[in-house]
Amino acid sequence: MRTLRLTVNGAPVVREVADHRLLVDFLREDLKLTGTKEGCGIGVCGACTVLLDGKPISSCLALAVHADGGQVTTIEGVAAGDRLHPLQEAFLAHGGYQCGICTPGQILAAKALLDANPRPTKADIQYWMMGNLCRCTGYYKIIESIAAAAGVE
Amino acid sequence: MAAVTRTGKAIGQPMQRVDGIAKVTGRARYAGDFDLPGMIFGRCLRSPYPRARIVSIDTRRAKALPGVHAVLTGADVADVRYGRLCRDVPILAKDIALFVGDKVAAVAADSVEIAEAALERIAVEYEELPPVLSAEEAMRPGAPVIHPEPVALMPGAIAGGHGELRMYPPIPNVISQLTLRHGDVAGALAGASKVFEHVFTVPPVHQGYIEPHSCLVSIGADGLVDVWVANKGPHIARAHMAATIGVPEDRLRFNPVTIGGDFGGKGSLMDTLLCYYLARAARRPVKMVMTSFEELTAANPRHTANIRLRTGLDRDAKIVAIDARIVFDAGAYAGFIPGPTLHGYSELAGTYRVPNCAIEVLRVYTNTVPRGHMRSPGSPQVAFAVESHIDMIARALGLDPVEMRRRNAIADGDPTPLGDRRRHLRCRETIDAGARAFGWDAPKAPGIGRGISIYEHPAGTFGRSTVTLTVGADGRITVMVGAPDTGTGFHTIAAQLVAEHFGLSPDAVAVVQGDTLTSDFEAGSSGMRVTTTVGQAIAAAADKAKQALAALAAERLNCAPSDVRMGEGGSFAASGTTIDLPALMGWAAERGKAPVTCKGENTPNQPSDQTSFAAHFAEVAVDRETGQVRLRRLVTAHDVGTIINPITHQGQIEGGLIQAVGQAMSEQVVLKEGAVITAHLGDYKLPTIMDIPALETVLLPGGNGSGPFATTAIGEMSNVAVPAAITNAVFDAVGVRLVELPIRAEKVLEGLGERTRAG
Repeated sequence: MRTLRLTVNGAPVVREVADHRLLVDFLREDLKLTGTKEGCGIGVCGACTVLLDGKPISSCLALAVHADGGQVTTIEGVAAGDRLHPLQEAFLAHGGYQCGICTPGQILAAKALLDANPRPTKADIQYWMMGNLCRCTGYYKIIESIAAAAGVE
Repeated sequence: MAAVTRTGKAIGQPMQRVDGIAKVTGRARYAGDFDLPGMIFGRCLRSPYPRARIVSIDTRRAKALPGVHAVLTGADVADVRYGRLCRDVPILAKDIALFVGDKVAAVAADSVEIAEAALERIAVEYEELPPVLSAEEAMRPGAPVIHPEPVALMPGAIAGGHGELRMYPPIPNVISQLTLRHGDVAGALAGASKVFEHVFTVPPVHQGYIEPHSCLVSIGADGLVDVWVANKGPHIARAHMAATIGVPEDRLRFNPVTIGGDFGGKGSLMDTLLCYYLARAARRPVKMVMTSFEELTAANPRHTANIRLRTGLDRDAKIVAIDARIVFDAGAYAGFIPGPTLHGYSELAGTYRVPNCAIEVLRVYTNTVPRGHMRSPGSPQVAFAVESHIDMIARALGLDPVEMRRRNAIADGDPTPLGDRRRHLRCRETIDAGARAFGWDAPKAPGIGRGISIYEHPAGTFGRSTVTLTVGADGRITVMVGAPDTGTGFHTIAAQLVAEHFGLSPDAVAVVQGDTLTSDFEAGSSGMRVTTTVGQAIAAAADKAKQALAALAAERLNCAPSDVRMGEGGSFAASGTTIDLPALMGWAAERGKAPVTCKGENTPNQPSDQTSFAAHFAEVAVDRETGQVRLRRLVTAHDVGTIINPITHQGQIEGGLIQAVGQAMSEQVVLKEGAVITAHLGDYKLPTIMDIPALETVLLPGGNGSGPFATTAIGEMSNVAVPAAITNAVFDAVGVRLVELPIRAEKVLEGLGERTRAG
């Protein structure tokens, strides 16, 4: 066990965690932030994507202690209160989700893309998002949503 | 008469989904997201052998582990069998394990880690028995009998449809044998100008939903059992749970949850019954979430199929008869599907004029992972065979594949291959619209190939749907449904339909999913039924509610109910006076007459002459050096009626297509010595965002819709026949015929080698 000090969605968090506690379990079970989903458990599907210091990571592969001293953003922290993030608005308007299980991961991965590259091309979007699987949409509307949020055609 | 495609105030609008904000903010709650005080975690131990006698199980060391609250084996749970029709699935294997992954023991503990440590402390002694690993092997005389015990059937669930159905006929390991006949096949084949016979194999694929099967069971002190489970039909699931464990239905409450993808795979109880027995033994709420590894190796993927087709043609290349034998490998248990067999046989050339037709469908046990339903059960397998076979015949006769299909396309006046009558058949029109958009006749470069496949299916009308519609004191309307939205947009469609009936904006309508105690029966999303069946229930409830509101308006306006007219925005008018719904309901509330609540129900299995068509066109580039196939573009053409929500409709098209691309290009549940070896998402290749081709969708409005406001179904239309368009394109490119899915570069290269040697 060790004491973990980090910032989650802008708020300070201090918790005792086991050294081998996975970040996804820490978020979902200890902090009850169940918006982060676990799909494959091996870092392939991207459903558990969260941002650590602004970079997308698979929280199913990261240890909670890996986030010590860091800033974690989960889907619960993407909107500013009731004001949705432009990506959330775009996913709603363009049907970039269906069952919604991969959506938190998609939005966080896309947020990291737009933070790094505000005007991505369609090819940039595809390349960046290839680690986030979606079984419902066939991806076309995810691309449309991200492009719309970025204001590119 | 063709239905007119209409756009109303609420239908036809690209309305944002009612579950949207919850889903983009992470607030939507899936079964695995629920949490209860005192909750512990269940895990199970699975057989490593395809067929083995369980000699002994020693659980003492597991029980001694701190944090373990319950350890169960087959001896500790009721000797009952679960099944949606065939009741052959034990809670835990007793005496014998029937596939690699069969559950033999289970643990509930304070954490998943402790539960898994406890599993490692369970000693099981097995005696390996010779397994049966293929359907053909299973049917041989003298083959080991996988289920020697008599298998009970759930009452009232057998739907034979056409033909003669025999359950558990005297062929080893056969679950069901269905024979269908229309016309004189033997005579027609004898008189045919040419007869072609081909055999096709379709391996299993996984539904690929990202949310694994999850459940949480809590048994209250009062005996009420609360269940949160990723299941698309909670009312049916509850009935099956009650029938299996002997707890009355009104003591079982299935709570509303969001479903993280279904695609046919989440119709069973999976681990829920085991979870119940763990909760009972531990006296604590228990949660079980399958790992992705368990999902891929031990859930209920699509049935393996072997399909032999024999088709006779006359001198004009017109089909005179088809004789088919379809063998579905069901794996170790039959109970994961609600019917005796898969309805895919009805896809056998439903697109073609086939005057004589005979089909035998066998569903067979093997010692492999049990199979379930997936997006149009049985149809993708059969459609791959038929659409490859027709292409092979066209090529052998020197006919253009589009021309071959146009020549044989079913049209008004033709019975279906099984003798049904349908009308407003736009098969040829759908082919032509797609071919035009695709540029079928345009010149192409070497190494580029083009293929077509076509499909037909009516909307589902089976199963009961019931809704409760409440017009509140504030004039807002709530519609309660009894099943989750599996992701398709069903709840949003419900809101739009209610709004349309009352001339309101969908914003004035709330959709609530009730639990199984508060909501009425809903069979759930399957078989392209829910828009039609829930739509009928909504129409019935809306009619009643409008009558009740008109009576209230008459009272308020001092006139006869027959003088009241319903106007825009849910208002009511009589003799020059208008009252809007909030004002009317406010007035009614003061007199104790609000809310107004009405139930509506559909009429299941109404005979319908409705169907619709799809035509898919694929263009591939094949690398002759490596055999690699690249899918460059798809054109998908659909014969559609009224589209209620263009966003969700197009979402069904795009998602269905890319699932089919997966089945064609990369997905296969690979079995080796009975075990699934594609055991994680690194080995089981779902399409990624990099794998999607350029896409053009062509919609032909004006289709014959039987659903509310003349809708046609879409969810399976975009998916079923697509793989054959791609393999047909590979043949067009390099002359290599693939009779087995998926396309693998090795197979293409091997085919190219054979052609070189032969040439």
